[in-house]
Amino acid sequence: MRAWLYLIAAAIAGAIITTPALLILILFGGSTDDALLAALATLMLVAALAVVTMKDIIRCGLAMIVCFLSLAGIYVVLGAPMVAATQVLVYIGAISVLILFAIMLTQDKVAPARLVFQTQAAPAAVAAIILALLVALAAAGTDWHAVSARVSVATLALARILFDEYVLPFEVVSVLLLAAVVGGVFIAKREDPDQDTI
Amino acid sequence: MGIADNLDFYLDLAGALFAIGTFGFLARRNAISMLMSIELMLNAVNLAIVAFGAFIPALKDRGAVIALMVIAVAAAEATVGLAIVIAIFRNRKTPLVDEYDAMRR
Repeated sequence: MRAWLYLIAAAIAGAIITTPALLILILFGGSTDDALLAALATLMLVAALAVVTMKDIIRCGLAMIVCFLSLAGIYVVLGAPMVAATQVLVYIGAISVLILFAIMLTQDKVAPARLVFQTQAAPAAVAAIILALLVALAAAGTDWHAVSARVSVATLALARILFDEYVLPFEVVSVLLLAAVVGGVFIAKREDPDQDTI
Repeated sequence: MGIADNLDFYLDLAGALFAIGTFGFLARRNAISMLMSIELMLNAVNLAIVAFGAFIPALKDRGAVIALMVIAVAAAEATVGLAIVIAIFRNRKTPLVDEYDAMRR
């Protein structure tokens, strides 16, 4: 019985995600890129909403992986395959696993039954909607001097810029990562008051 | 002109994702949920950066480089943030931020 419910829920979710893409493809005569982008954008927003609203935090973490994956797809549509590959490696491979481990280290069994939201959830929702509208207004009202077709990033050109013009930030980021890893291990290290010897 | 060749669409998408992250950060009680919302906001900014890099000729190829830097810094942020959450959890035995009230009493 539960399996049927999951199947129906999956069918409804799939319909919600593919409907904008099909509408754009059939009704508005868009290209396949448009349809792909619409499907990925819908999937990303639905997954992001699931991250911030679902009760069970493990499911929030899994929805976050879906969100990152669809964002990587959007990077591919935008013509930045290197960023998409890094997104998959770093966000899905490293950060999501880190967050899932942190969830398993810090949650107890009764946690999903407790209240999920703070008392200021409703004003926070209003503020978030106003923020999104402001960003949309600013984006629509500004002339960005943008070209009307997107330009793909050649990986060779990206490497030349990264290791020539941006080589100092690159090295600084490597030192920052080392410092963050050492600091993270030091902060999360278990301190046993009974043992004086290390 | 379809939506895939329109800078405004990507910026609206990034704004919507950032707003969802803002809501999660303000509204959730769990510290790890708040960190996940921060990751959503960082991803929204990254999407805007890559979109600018793809559509503005003066930024050609530099958007992707800046996005890679942002991803690396976000990884560092996630490491330190989760370590702090685990350290606090070890002392207070709860992941809920509204029960961290030691400095209010």
